[in-house]
Amino acid sequence: MTPIYLAPDAAVAQHSQMRAFADCAAGVVGRAFPDYASLNRWACDDFRAFWRTFVDWSRLDISGNLDPVCVGDAVETARFFPGLRLNYARNLLRPLSGVDERGPALILRTESGERREIDRAALRSRALAVAAALQEQGVRAGDRVAALARNAPEALEVCLGSAALGATWSSVAPDLGTEAVLGRFQQLEPVVLFAHTEYVHHGVRRSLEDRVRTLVAELPSVRQLVVLDGPVPAGLRDGVRVSRLEDFRARQPLELDALEDFPFDHPLFVLFSSGTTGVPKCIVHGAGGTLLEHVKEHRLHTDLRPTDRLYFHTSAGWMMWNWQLTALATGTPVLLYDGSPSFPDATVLLRVLDEERISVFGTSPAYIQLLKESGVEPRAVGRFEALRALQSTGSILYDAQFDWIGEHFKRVPIHSISGGTDIIGCFMLGNPLMPVYRGESQSLSLGLDVRVLAEPGLQRTGVGDLVCVNPFPSRPVFIWNDPQGARFHASYFAENEGLWTHGDRVHLTEWGSARVLGRSDGTMKIRGVRIGPAELYSVVLAIPGVSEAMAVEQADPREPGGSRIILLVVLAAGQTLDREQTLRIKKALSQKASPVHVPAVIAQVSGLPQTLNGKYSERAARDIVNGRAPPNRAALRNPEVLDELLAHPALQPPQPFMGDRAK
Amino acid sequence: MQPSDIRRLVIDWLDDNYHFGEAEALIGDDEDKSFLRNGVLDSLGFVKLILHLEDACNVQIDRKDVSPANFDSLLKVVTYVSAQLTKART
Repeated sequence: MTPIYLAPDAAVAQHSQMRAFADCAAGVVGRAFPDYASLNRWACDDFRAFWRTFVDWSRLDISGNLDPVCVGDAVETARFFPGLRLNYARNLLRPLSGVDERGPALILRTESGERREIDRAALRSRALAVAAALQEQGVRAGDRVAALARNAPEALEVCLGSAALGATWSSVAPDLGTEAVLGRFQQLEPVVLFAHTEYVHHGVRRSLEDRVRTLVAELPSVRQLVVLDGPVPAGLRDGVRVSRLEDFRARQPLELDALEDFPFDHPLFVLFSSGTTGVPKCIVHGAGGTLLEHVKEHRLHTDLRPTDRLYFHTSAGWMMWNWQLTALATGTPVLLYDGSPSFPDATVLLRVLDEERISVFGTSPAYIQLLKESGVEPRAVGRFEALRALQSTGSILYDAQFDWIGEHFKRVPIHSISGGTDIIGCFMLGNPLMPVYRGESQSLSLGLDVRVLAEPGLQRTGVGDLVCVNPFPSRPVFIWNDPQGARFHASYFAENEGLWTHGDRVHLTEWGSARVLGRSDGTMKIRGVRIGPAELYSVVLAIPGVSEAMAVEQADPREPGGSRIILLVVLAAGQTLDREQTLRIKKALSQKASPVHVPAVIAQVSGLPQTLNGKYSERAARDIVNGRAPPNRAALRNPEVLDELLAHPALQPPQPFMGDRAK
Repeated sequence: MQPSDIRRLVIDWLDDNYHFGEAEALIGDDEDKSFLRNGVLDSLGFVKLILHLEDACNVQIDRKDVSPANFDSLLKVVTYVSAQLTKART
């Protein structure tokens, strides 16, 4: 059994919303749920009763019928709450009992030192004024509204204004290149474009005017450009109206109570796949599924309350931006940070977290690694008295990083959460009723019947590919421009008919926690043994001096199994991979993993291929070391590293041995 | 290629693949210590070592010569490969 990193606090567990919901559910179904395992078993087995109970318990602002809860039993086609109607924006903007209308809804901090606070009443008024303006421009439910936006309050205001009308929102961050933005928005044909026209990152002010001009020119569907902040670009295409946000929303706000309710599956957000295999998928998420899943994750798994303050390090181009937004439905103030978390130095964000009394801090393993590599001692930067949970996602948080957080930052529950764009939520989450096991996600998401698919079949525990076997509300409602559902089927169901196949290789433990081992398609098979790349990373990243690592399988006719492991490493600044360090890495893998995990080649590189969403792309590296062209260079944030891999002498595809060549 | 080069080649290969910096210590002073009996190499490792020597030393090793008599210690490997290289030169 994995060592416990932190046991649950009995008082916290007793007063948690998860416990309150479990007791409520016990009253409804007439049997006790003494622990999370029993609650989740019921929620998966009788998912209709679970979701209905949760909707009742959460007291969301809804209308229509709760019955039927779900039509159909197939994950791919089941529809939740066909008779229920709601308005996502009203659920986030409405006054909440016990929540101060003049208290902060959004707090902005920037790397330039700006601080702004917007209270709930002001946010409501501004968002509904945006809705009024959009309505005047003829925007209707189902129209697409797109944004090129910084992580700033005005982006959230206009998102909520759009959602209030039933428009479908899609946003990207300023660091996405023009071609990549067009590759996404051209599919959607938005009628309105909201845009920041400049941004500051790492001390450098950059103009987005050229990009906005190009977007307007290349998106003929856009009738209205609204500049969120910054100069109004000159020379825009004819026929497009241009306004500054403050002028655009200078109107009488719509009445909150007069907002129309839309069907549960009404398209709310469009998120994008990374596009490593072609044009990015436009993944459409419904208003009801998004709201329900987020509120469940916030209130039950994170125990978020109006007294909390949430910060999740994200951009408008990542699903965690949408996820944090929904925290307003719980009345939790959200901190937005606009800029680099490491400028002018790596302590800047930590100071902000301390000053703003953030209680739930969401980050990524990369940020934890940055702090560690920079020699930052968070304990010396602040006391973090309010901090009660640390969340991490985006990639795998390894055991040694748990230790570092506990020893150098604060020993609070670590929620190593995992899910993603495809479900606009998580399969693995925190849980106030359960211990934190070192290196593991605390628990599976309530009501999502997650299993592993491995020989001989579906299992509740063990190592295998993550699948979900029951319908869940936050499944995408469809993929844009996929009228027959062929791409939707190919993406999630073609591999295993009837099962949502997520593409992650995971270990579901017997004690209820979970550990992601990497992407399924990154799994290596060495001498007959299946190895998840993360099995190597957990060892290698604990070795001093190693900042990043990526393991891929390379075909090798000389090896008994026909292939070998290539390990790419990025070392701390100024370090060179010498023989001593190479052998140290190999020895650690041999002892802490197994001799089969020892790479044949370890190569130092300046960077590892990352998708535009910031995820490491083992696939791109694997293609290169096997002599194949990567599928789509434009889908990578740093395609130049592919050239480095191509030219690296140690990474060339191996030739047969001399004796074999002669044959 | 001198016997000392061949010796270094074998030590480095053992370190790269099996012993990660400890091959020399494992073999110790007795360079005729049996690889098989002392956990320096297993039978699969033998095959890989021979393939590696062929490639790195540019020699063809007759499979009839592949036996513990020629390869079961550092000394035996160095002696055998040196002899093959000399034979190839003459």
